Amino acid sequence: MADRVYDLIQLEELSGGDQDFINMMVDTFLEHTPGQLEELIKAQASNDMVTFGAISHKIKPNIDMFGIKKIIQDIRDLEQLGKAGQNNSELQTKLANVQAELTIAFEQLRQR
Amino acid sequence: MSLMKIFLVEDNELYAKATKHHLSLNPDNQVEHFVTGKSCLEKLYLQPDCILLDYSLPDLSGIDVLRKVKSSQPDLPVVIVSGQEDVATAIDLLKEGAYDYIVKDENSKERIWKTINNLRENAKLRNELDRLREEVNLKYDFSSIKGSSPPIKKVFKLIEKAIRTNITVSISGETGTGKELVAKAIHYNSKNKKAPLVTVNIAAIPKELLESELFGYEKGAFTGAISKRIGKFEEANGGTLFLDEIGEMELSLQAKLLRILQERVVTRIGSNKEIKVDTRIIVATHRNLKEEVTKGNFREDLYYRLLGLPIELPPLRQRESDIILLAKYFLKLFLEENEMEDIRISDQAQTKLRTYTWPGNVRELKAVIDLAAVLADDGIIDEKDLNFNTVGDELDNLVSEGLTMKDYNRKLINYYLKNHNNNVVEVAKLLDIGKSTLYRMLKNNELTVN
Repeated sequence: MADRVYDLIQLEELSGGDQDFINMMVDTFLEHTPGQLEELIKAQASNDMVTFGAISHKIKPNIDMFGIKKIIQDIRDLEQLGKAGQNNSELQTKLANVQAELTIAFEQLRQR
Repeated sequence: MSLMKIFLVEDNELYAKATKHHLSLNPDNQVEHFVTGKSCLEKLYLQPDCILLDYSLPDLSGIDVLRKVKSSQPDLPVVIVSGQEDVATAIDLLKEGAYDYIVKDENSKERIWKTINNLRENAKLRNELDRLREEVNLKYDFSSIKGSSPPIKKVFKLIEKAIRTNITVSISGETGTGKELVAKAIHYNSKNKKAPLVTVNIAAIPKELLESELFGYEKGAFTGAISKRIGKFEEANGGTLFLDEIGEMELSLQAKLLRILQERVVTRIGSNKEIKVDTRIIVATHRNLKEEVTKGNFREDLYYRLLGLPIELPPLRQRESDIILLAKYFLKLFLEENEMEDIRISDQAQTKLRTYTWPGNVRELKAVIDLAAVLADDGIIDEKDLNFNTVGDELDNLVSEGLTMKDYNRKLINYYLKNHNNNVVEVAKLLDIGKSTLYRMLKNNELTVN
């Protein structure tokens, strides 16, 4: 199995050892974030950069909270590029990174 | 208050759950979660203690929610929690009245925790302040000024008039008549009662310090001005400045005071900047300011500016019917403060209290009663327990009453009659006056025979 792309240290600290709380947070993450990722991809495809910026903004704290370190900066850049309306190759590359990393994270978290 | 009702407005389910969980680690935090701004605004009637508000909401922007909250509940603290790291947005929100602006990052959890704890502490202090304010209001309500004699009733009427407006009030009266108590009663019953009452005793501050005390100074304004300090006028802004013993103010400072009263601005020493002040002025003096104007010790223009509503407090000797009432009141207070058994004042002691001239007025009466309560045996204050330690010449005190010769005669004869068992023959002999004169005075009710 590939290395874990997420890190639950923030949630573990927050939980104070409450495993049920961690499980509940993982479930919530898996319930909401895949849909948000889908909306993000759709917004880019339809060049709706206002929505793109807003969804990036919403996904950002989730990525932080689950310690998906590789894309912590990428999601911030996507938010800025989206708000600036720049649907360019840089945005597309970073979006591809985010999509790939989140997809792995979803899978790993489901199998945790 | 230790229980904190927190409204959390956050559309990110994950972040909301994390924040709620974290805050709930303190059982005194009661967190209610709202996904939209509108749903939060609809529940404001539940009186939360603070709102944690996400800047980006699906229905309204954070600034819209903030404005709506502030328009209905201006004192309700709103903490913005946002993924926006834009400083300009944060400044705008703080200007609109946000209590704090917290960026969602790995430190936000600690910052929210600290902010909530600070709010809890502030709320505790605010409650304590409200309680103390209420206590002060009760202490200085009208009932704190005791008396039912015609002269004090006249004073009550004037105080009522002073409370209704913001007019300058000048209180005059002999030392110990309760000038400060009246100033407090006016302030704590006025519409500005929540703002500070700042008292400055002009006579108690060295003249070279008075200017800086009243107007404040900037750092480096003079040797020893190591930091900026605001003056009493600024401190009392929105409230009341009570200038006690105004008659003792030097002429040079009187000119500066006049300027402030005319223009309603102060300038700190060492600064050119004018600061607007909206302060009610109450002054008091034991001097006759009109006479001081004639003597050239007090500026005439300032005298008229300060006169406002004059309240003259009667000396205690003109409130004979209040003496026993006040004595019993002070005795009750003293007994309560010292957790002592009940003590009463004997008839003889009451007569002694009534016939004394009280040069130190109500303040002296309180001191005499406090001491008498300590000296009293068997739960009774007797004549021997009343010690009058009059400062100055007895004759001065007697003459200062400003009576007519006829009144002095009557007072003297009454004194002799009282001390000689109302024996008219003996008193006539001692004072070398005719018995018939005394009988005539008795017949005309000019004398008091117990």
